Amino acid sequence: MHERLSFYVKRESALHQLNPLTKLTLVFGLILPAFLVPFYWTPHLLLLLVVFPLAFLGKVQGEYFTAVTKLILPAAGFLFVMQALFIPGGETVLAKLWFLTLTQESLMYAFANAVRIFVMVSSFTLFMLTTHPSELMSDLTQRGLPGQFAYVIIATLQIIPQMQAKASTIIAAQRSRGLDTESSFARRVQALVPLVGPLVFGSLVEVEERAIAIEARGFTSRRPKTSLREIYDRPLDKGLRWLLILIMLASLVSRIWFS
Amino acid sequence: MKFFESLKKDFNTMTWVLIPVAIAINVVMGQIVVVLRLPVYLDSIGTMLVAALCGPWAGALTGTLSNIIWGLAIDPNAFPWWPVAFFIGLVTGICANAGLFKNLWKVIITGFLVALTAAIVSTPIAVYLYGGITASGSSFITAYLLQTGRGVIEAVFSTNFLVEPIDKISTALLAFAIIQGLSLRFVARFPRPQNIEIQAGAGRTQLWIALGVVVVLILIAVFVLVRLLTPGG
Repeated sequence: MHERLSFYVKRESALHQLNPLTKLTLVFGLILPAFLVPFYWTPHLLLLLVVFPLAFLGKVQGEYFTAVTKLILPAAGFLFVMQALFIPGGETVLAKLWFLTLTQESLMYAFANAVRIFVMVSSFTLFMLTTHPSELMSDLTQRGLPGQFAYVIIATLQIIPQMQAKASTIIAAQRSRGLDTESSFARRVQALVPLVGPLVFGSLVEVEERAIAIEARGFTSRRPKTSLREIYDRPLDKGLRWLLILIMLASLVSRIWFS
Repeated sequence: MKFFESLKKDFNTMTWVLIPVAIAINVVMGQIVVVLRLPVYLDSIGTMLVAALCGPWAGALTGTLSNIIWGLAIDPNAFPWWPVAFFIGLVTGICANAGLFKNLWKVIITGFLVALTAAIVSTPIAVYLYGGITASGSSFITAYLLQTGRGVIEAVFSTNFLVEPIDKISTALLAFAIIQGLSLRFVARFPRPQNIEIQAGAGRTQLWIALGVVVVLILIAVFVLVRLLTPGG
């Protein structure tokens, strides 16, 4: 119940051992070329030759491909259908339905765009699967991110599941008292107040107690703090980060150069 | 340095503790709305609460982190939209500082201004990242407008302009109702309690003004709609 909200899977792999910041750079090093490089097949090649092998390298292929079939493929597929049908323009007409025309150009455009979104979501999913949120936050704090930001992110990841549990309790409780959450539109709007009220006020009451508690533990103190986790930053990480930054710059330049 | 002074005042411990709770409220509200099958998102209530109680920059931070965490933990598609959330928090905070969070009709105006900003900010993201058609249901309107021969930017903006006000005004009203339910002693611990001092005034007059504001906004929307539906307009 007090489980933290995260995708993280604990494994021993090359991807797990990388420094969190390197992996974050890798995410953007995949997304920027996919969106910026003018060559048509870039996102497709990135997906097949980089993203999929990375899933195996990180030993999270099982979890990753489950996420692909459940989450990424439906979203990208829906986007593909919408865009293929609705983006106007193009000359080679393939089919006509009602007021919609399917052209070869819009089909090609929609295909590339869906794969781009696929690459974007996939690289974040891989990042989440192989990086523990606390690791990322301690690493960023050691690099100078104010501790308050780390607190906000880690605390949120803990609070969301608690609040979801609270919300389902409240919904069940109000339903058992006869609250109508399923019939007409007006009824469902009315049901909003008895659901939102207890949830929001209940969680706001805790705010003050928590503020006093963390204040007592030196939250606003400016002295350097020690960390429970030790995070490694090997020369390999530094090299990789520079390489990725170069790739990002190159894709930006190619975009400006060829357009 | 006055700016940094006020920023420091806005981010006290209460603010830092409220932000995670507000983000969780955003996320869970987004899910309650799905359970109730309502045609709105209401996923920026927490952002607006923080913006009204702790100032524009705290609101902007809440919005941004909200989208980042939503993207990290629930749906990676939420990531690219963080600038929209940033501006929702910022504009709400600015409106609240200007005294537009103190009674019913002023809150409706805040909601409308926020909706306008959200429509403007989300247009380039939808156009450049998704080519205008996103995975949300309102894209059917955009698609229709595109088929009638309008430009992508115009089509996307008009769609946003028609959809956003309903969502953002109801969000602002709910946030206002929540703030009114908080005790004065609790509110006083936040950096900007003066933003939400309820203005005294006859409740009935305010209700009438609120109705008037809503009617004017509906007229504007109808005007835009008619202009959009006339071919070639």
